[in-house]
Amino acid sequence: MERWVFITVIIAGYLLVTLAIGLLAGRRATHSVAGYVAADRSFGLLVMYFVTGATVFSSFAFLGGPGWTYSRGAAAFYILSYGVLGMIPFYWMGPRAAALGRRYGFVTQAQLLVGRFPSRGLSALVALMSLVAFVPYVTIQIRGAGIVIEAVTSGHVPLWLGALVAYGIVVIYVLASGAMAVGWTNTFQGIFMVVIAWTLGFYLPHRLYGGVGPMFEQLAAARPELLTPPGLTSAGDPWSWGSYSTYILVSAVGLMMWPHLFMKAFTAKDDDTLRRTVMLFPTFQLFLIPIFLIGFSGVLFPTAPDDPDFILPFMIMNTDLPALVVGLFCAGALSASMSTGDALLHAAASVVVEDGIGPFRTLADETQRTLMRGLVVAVGALAYWGAVAGGTSLVQLLATAYGIVSQLAPPIVAAMYWRRATTPGVVAGLLAGWATAGFFYFNPALKPFGMHEGVVGLLVHIPVLVGVSLATRRQDPAHAEGFCGSLDRPRTEVT
Amino acid sequence: MLAGAFVVLMAVAVTWPGAVPAARIEPRVLGLPFAFAWPALWVVLSGPMLWYVDRVERRHRASRADGADGPDGDA
Repeated sequence: MERWVFITVIIAGYLLVTLAIGLLAGRRATHSVAGYVAADRSFGLLVMYFVTGATVFSSFAFLGGPGWTYSRGAAAFYILSYGVLGMIPFYWMGPRAAALGRRYGFVTQAQLLVGRFPSRGLSALVALMSLVAFVPYVTIQIRGAGIVIEAVTSGHVPLWLGALVAYGIVVIYVLASGAMAVGWTNTFQGIFMVVIAWTLGFYLPHRLYGGVGPMFEQLAAARPELLTPPGLTSAGDPWSWGSYSTYILVSAVGLMMWPHLFMKAFTAKDDDTLRRTVMLFPTFQLFLIPIFLIGFSGVLFPTAPDDPDFILPFMIMNTDLPALVVGLFCAGALSASMSTGDALLHAAASVVVEDGIGPFRTLADETQRTLMRGLVVAVGALAYWGAVAGGTSLVQLLATAYGIVSQLAPPIVAAMYWRRATTPGVVAGLLAGWATAGFFYFNPALKPFGMHEGVVGLLVHIPVLVGVSLATRRQDPAHAEGFCGSLDRPRTEVT
Repeated sequence: MLAGAFVVLMAVAVTWPGAVPAARIEPRVLGLPFAFAWPALWVVLSGPMLWYVDRVERRHRASRADGADGPDGDA
């Protein structure tokens, strides 16, 4: 059997297992909106752990991580720095959001916001901006999948076909099983990507340099500028501390505000599960260490790929690895891509229906599910078109996506912790934050200290939210208390 | 409180200005340049920190549940 055929067989096997898990998982869910969007609030610790880890780390981490390390060196350390920072607040926010979800029946983030700050316009605004942030993110995942398959089959399976098959499977299991499929496939994919990353992260430095220590000795002699933050820009010039630091901050703030991640609070079985998921997250996060080792091991490699993002597939193909290892690597990369892509597609559809349409039209449960399924296909098709059409500005768009989602943090925190916040305050803050981030995105030269536009947006957003809230009429105290007060369940049921 | 302090401390330690003194190659830790081991160390530390916070919180919740009619709660 030819090498690429053998590799294709392994990939096909992996895809079939994923499909089977996704379809089987759905048989456990009820046919309701809560079942489709929030998996009937049934996920235990094992599933939550991998859902969180596998969803956070996408093909941006699996392929982009080594790519950044390879071309920009220590600049990549920002990815290692922000995850835990963004996750710790969720130890408190997660259970509170989940308790509110149980109390008021929320399954999305915007429902929580609008529950506290009643405004249909706010709901539609959040849905629209979420969608704007989602589409480039899904596009990158689809493109990543297609490129890896094309690379490891030496071009026998072209990008458009590989991406179509991988994401065709994602669409099928998301359509059939909703959040339940996302949860169980991510468990499988999460295990896969962690094992593959740790294995390759030590194998490649050993094979090429005789170990991690010797590798860094050679690097320190040849390219010391790559080893200390803030590292380099993509053009190879020194990066600024201002950019490096604000990338960490905006990513930490944005991380838990991604609707597809925040919504997972509504899928957990109970509060302890959520808390333990946060507690265990650092163990998943550490898989970035081998990911960076892979990138560093490529620096002194004699030949280079055209695009640094493909250093990983490039080295895989040029180090005479057994075909089995290549096939498994590809499955790992596909896992990283698909486990994020499926959550994104699912969340995009849920958000548009629940938050974009729901407040304006009363829809039957069954109609909502049908609409969501239509949207999964529509968003998937749109992103697929973007992925095949190409366009390098997508990576740029993803950076802006963080600018968009990080603006959701002040209103979410206000909804759950600040009794004096008002609807006009929250709407004004969001508009000001998005307008500011947008302005600096299009005028990067004006950014103070090279700060990420999302952080500049927050610096404007928060004072506006606070100022306008204080200037407008206080909410009914009983209403605010329902969100900000104690959420302990009644200890003695009234009988 | 403790976790809040840890988040702030870590945020300062891995960004400007806290990360500037750590931005060095030597001493190396398990073969890694110091600047690489530095954020990794904070990630590792966050594990036991969260475990400890969880113990304190758990005790706190348990004692609140015992004091039958505390000032808070919906009951």
